[in-house]
Amino acid sequence: MKSTQYTEKTLEHFRNPRNVGTLEGENVAVGRVGNPVCGDMMDIYIRVSPDDTIEDIKFQTFGCGSAVATSSMITELVQGMKLDDALKVSRGDVADALEGLPPIKMHCSNLAADALHEAIKNWREGVGPEDAKKTPGGTACHPIPAEVAAVEIQNLDAYEGKGLYRRVAVDELPKLADERVVVLDTGDRSAQLAMDLTDHTGRVVLMTSGKEPSVSPAVRSALRLSDVKVLAEAQPLELLGEGELERIRVHDLNEDEEYELTADAFVVLE
Amino acid sequence: MSDGITLTLQDPGEALRSAGVVYADYQSAKPVDPRVVRAMLPYLTEKFGNAASLHGVGDVATEALEEARGRVAALFGAEPREIVFTGGATEASNLAIVGYALRNRRKGDHVIISEAEHISVLNIAKYLEKQGFKVTRAPIDLHGRVSPKKLRARITDETILVSLQWASSEIGTVQPIAEIAELLDGTGIALHSDAVAAEGLVPIDTGEVPVSLLSLSSNDIYGPRGLGALYVRQGVQVAPVLLGGGQERGLRSGSEDLASIVGFAAAADLMAAEMPAEVERVRAIRDKLVERVLAEIPDSHLNGHPEHRLPNNAHFRFDAVEGEAMVLSLRDEGIAASTGSACSSKTLEPSHTLISCGLLHEEAHGSLEFTFGRWSRAEDVDRIMEALPDVIHRLRALSPLYKTSTPTGS
Repeated sequence: MKSTQYTEKTLEHFRNPRNVGTLEGENVAVGRVGNPVCGDMMDIYIRVSPDDTIEDIKFQTFGCGSAVATSSMITELVQGMKLDDALKVSRGDVADALEGLPPIKMHCSNLAADALHEAIKNWREGVGPEDAKKTPGGTACHPIPAEVAAVEIQNLDAYEGKGLYRRVAVDELPKLADERVVVLDTGDRSAQLAMDLTDHTGRVVLMTSGKEPSVSPAVRSALRLSDVKVLAEAQPLELLGEGELERIRVHDLNEDEEYELTADAFVVLE
Repeated sequence: MSDGITLTLQDPGEALRSAGVVYADYQSAKPVDPRVVRAMLPYLTEKFGNAASLHGVGDVATEALEEARGRVAALFGAEPREIVFTGGATEASNLAIVGYALRNRRKGDHVIISEAEHISVLNIAKYLEKQGFKVTRAPIDLHGRVSPKKLRARITDETILVSLQWASSEIGTVQPIAEIAELLDGTGIALHSDAVAAEGLVPIDTGEVPVSLLSLSSNDIYGPRGLGALYVRQGVQVAPVLLGGGQERGLRSGSEDLASIVGFAAAADLMAAEMPAEVERVRAIRDKLVERVLAEIPDSHLNGHPEHRLPNNAHFRFDAVEGEAMVLSLRDEGIAASTGSACSSKTLEPSHTLISCGLLHEEAHGSLEFTFGRWSRAEDVDRIMEALPDVIHRLRALSPLYKTSTPTGS
């Protein structure tokens, strides 16, 4: 079965998703699950009435056809339900309501149900929307966020002069033309350097182990306007490559998984 | 025809247009040129013989087979005896890589491939590893090109074979194959190239570039599907991977599919005659699309090399939008395109090529590929641009990610 062999019902929800948007104001909670790295991310907003009923529900989703359709479907399923009943809406119920999903896409219905359950949990625990978005809930695709600890980067010294930079002088910037540069977030100075580098190469990643770079508000908004790609919740573990730097082994702190990021230069300012 | 049936073949371009489809996925499959089909037909009916038979009917087939071999060879600057017909390009790559490695094992057990190779070559390399060979993957740069310096750094005394695509079927980057061939010249290390994506789009001349082995596909020059060829330079030794009656000089057993081979030859003739004009026409369509997408759609990027790229390939990524959702939406608008997003793959892994280029996973998920070909028209770009900006806009409106990457002033 092709991964895109969707039922008409699924396609219909993808084409005309219900309840798209966000909610604001009193009595609102949000559940966020997923992660752009995984290829899907969902926010489900609920407004709860005094008698514990889901009075209004909205969603926003980044993801494939089934991710959009399952989000849309679950908002229809639970609108007007008591919270306790909504919690009983399972992953299978969402897939059933869409008249089935391709087997490989079943995890998407997990996400939609998880996002709803996360929103209800946050409502009951009094977690506000802004805090909820900072700590995505655990799902099958995205287990428990790992603990951030000071980690020593292996092989750092071995790549001195072979792709590792402890400082980059202004006249050295052109040397990095067309290189894939990863700058480790060590505060404003590192972010400023990353932005300066975008004049010389199209590929600058600012890697931070935090949810966001540890920079001042002014630098943060400048960063947002720049061509710097921020890679959050990423902990460099080891530098790799034949003779010179080619890859960085990275711990994805959100998914607690390791992967390798291709890079020609790694900047760790002293 | 003798049975009184008049064969009418619809022009593939007209067929697509009357169905309201803009086909921009020539990389995945191409129509067989109706002129090729006409050339094939007699070899399905009256000239049906087996080239191995000793009678007159067999002789007709032998003659047609060898004549076709010469015409296919000519397109790639090869000698007829250097062409082995196979059941497709994947089979050709199996014969090239597995066949060469097994035959030359006593010389060494190390094979180098690039990180940009097609999934078929990646999996063949994995099989070799299971057979006890060592496989090293040469990295690619931001634009998807292998660095000759980095490849050279991976050569050991045990290296017997380097496999490097002529061009990427995905991001369209053309590899510095001549440079790599020169680098390997005189080392005794064979060079195999998967030329499928590049066929008919950039010149491939084995007289100019001293590759040892070349995987070729018939459909990629508008010939029939299920047929390929391996170019084996004279003197290069490979062991067969398909055993049987010893056809194709013992390298590929099984009675030759004569009609398809004649079709491949007819496609090669057409390509030889029409390629320069066709390439310029297709390039103009592609250039127009790239220009318009980057100008009209905010936060859009071109993947692959700006210059060293196949003339028919446009490979984009769009911030905060997922690829499968784009392909599905375009399908509703009658536009056929493809993506390297994880959600469209069987493994839910994003394109290995894009990741090797240094893109983050979330960026690889937002990729969209258009490839043009013989029946593409300038109007196709207009149709795509009528639909695409709205599709991106709609999906971004659904996406919780877009607002965070869009500057709002302060």
